Amino acid sequence: MLEAFVFATILCGFFGIVYKQNLVMKIISMDVMSTGVVAYYVLIASRDGLKTPILSEGLDGASVAYADPVPQAVILTAIVIGFSIQALMLVGVMKLARENPTLETREIEKGNTP
Amino acid sequence: MNSLTSLDLPMASLPMASLPMASLPMASLPMNSLTIAWVALPLFAGFVIYLMPRIDRGLALGVALASAAYSMLLFFQPAPLTFGLLDRFGVTLLLDPLSGFFIFTNALVTAAVILYCWETGKSAFFYAQMTILHGSVNAAFACADFISLYVALEVISIAAFLLIAYPRSDRSIWVGLRYLFVSNTAMLFYLMGAVLVYQTNHSFAYSGLSRAPLEAIALIFLGLLVKGGVFVAGLWLPLTHSESESPVSALLSGVVVKAGIYPLMRCALLLPEIDPMVRVFGVGTALLGVAYAVFEKDTKRLLAFSTVSQLGFVLAAPEVGGFYALTHGLVKSSLFLTVGNLPSRSFKELQQMPIRRSLWIALAIASFSISGFPLLSGFGAKVLTMKSLLPWQVVGMNLAALGTAIAFAKFIFLPHCQFPPESQSRSLKPGFWAAMLVLLGGLVLANAVYYEAYTVENVVKPLLIIGIAWIAHKLIFQQANVKLPRAAEKFEHLIGGMSLMLILVFWMVFAWVAN
Repeated sequence: MLEAFVFATILCGFFGIVYKQNLVMKIISMDVMSTGVVAYYVLIASRDGLKTPILSEGLDGASVAYADPVPQAVILTAIVIGFSIQALMLVGVMKLARENPTLETREIEKGNTP
Repeated sequence: MNSLTSLDLPMASLPMASLPMASLPMASLPMNSLTIAWVALPLFAGFVIYLMPRIDRGLALGVALASAAYSMLLFFQPAPLTFGLLDRFGVTLLLDPLSGFFIFTNALVTAAVILYCWETGKSAFFYAQMTILHGSVNAAFACADFISLYVALEVISIAAFLLIAYPRSDRSIWVGLRYLFVSNTAMLFYLMGAVLVYQTNHSFAYSGLSRAPLEAIALIFLGLLVKGGVFVAGLWLPLTHSESESPVSALLSGVVVKAGIYPLMRCALLLPEIDPMVRVFGVGTALLGVAYAVFEKDTKRLLAFSTVSQLGFVLAAPEVGGFYALTHGLVKSSLFLTVGNLPSRSFKELQQMPIRRSLWIALAIASFSISGFPLLSGFGAKVLTMKSLLPWQVVGMNLAALGTAIAFAKFIFLPHCQFPPESQSRSLKPGFWAAMLVLLGGLVLANAVYYEAYTVENVVKPLLIIGIAWIAHKLIFQQANVKLPRAAEKFEHLIGGMSLMLILVFWMVFAWVAN
């Protein structure tokens, strides 16, 4: 069930990238898609348990069902990378917006392809 | 780069036994430390360049030379160097002569581009990005797990974007943005595949791919095919590579695309069931690229399409692809640097004005090598690849070789003279000749890798192919005025094409790998 929602989010983002005309909307769609991927990692990490994987006193590791910390740690890296790429893209869009205030992808492409 | 935070761990305390590849012979500890230092060096140097802009070029060149020296060590290692940091889910590194070829290509091309840019007044920012790009490409060639590869590929995207957008013109920003968008979307699919591999193996190592669900193979393949510019998924490449500045094009075509190709080859070598898929994509992209290249009227676009096609030669025979990748990297970057100095980009205009003879000689040497002419190492690489093909690949790859020779006949038959009219003769910088010396010299010396290729039978075949190609060029393609549509290269079609590619890869995986 949750998995279906995650895939729906990813697909929504993907179709947004294809069908949205505005460049900023495309970037937001990409963010939606990457949110879906992040959610998928979190979902897979929680297959075996939901508890936060931090050892504390009075709890022994064997009896409690912990979430797998590895996918969460990995996706943290991916979130940071995705965030920096989006920041970079938005700077590029700001520069482009001076010549193309509407930010229509087709117009920008027509103006900038030989 | 948090994958490198484990640098200060004492190597001896690593739980080696839990590694999936623990059965392979372990390399000595000094080599391990050296490897880690080598991976970290360019990234460190990149930031030092920001702090000390005055030593930018020297430092960047030093980093490239260090990589070259390191790759030489790899060729003389008795066994593949393989080790992991942290636990089974940590960073895995795998270095053998195959990665040695790729690292050596990266080192030579980067060094040549730095020499080329020496006198052009590029800012320290440019060299810093170039060094970071060099380091992340190295990391992609060294790692053997999907997450390190992901980090390396994304750093490559960012550094390449900054280099493409370096002129700060609207066009360069759009081309860079398009590149970043396409590669980031592909990498999202790739990430989904990577977590599926983890789910079954509790490790991200390449070797777990065979036990992973079929969807994982398809998603990871899609990401790497797009990143490596292969087949239909690689149609973003011609515009990006032809509209960047010449030195950046040389870097992108020479090494950066290979960061996507190398993991495909590595997977094909590790897992025999994936091998046929990689070979099919090799033949497909070799033919697609060359079909565009023979009709192309623009010099830089021809080179970019030829990159799409040459990557096919690398993939068509993964076990010997390293040598081909080396020769292609050297040839393509020297071609891009030379073409950047021609007075025009259009073949029609170049036919009207003779080019300087010294430039033509550089152009001709590279064109002969890529066509597979003996005496240059492109010949040895082609013979070696052709020998390792499976029977069903032979016709397609020979066609592609013929097409390549036809496309590059356009460069060989350009008119040239000793002293061109003043108006077109921009004086060539000494850096250009230094770069050519590195690239073309490397091309001649690399003959030593596979000198067994020089038998009568092997020599006659490429000469025959080149002969037929030149006749075809004179009779048909010189006059042909076919303009292939560029619709498929539009941004939305690129993203849409990715979904079609995903369906194709899914089908291939379910039809071939499943049984």
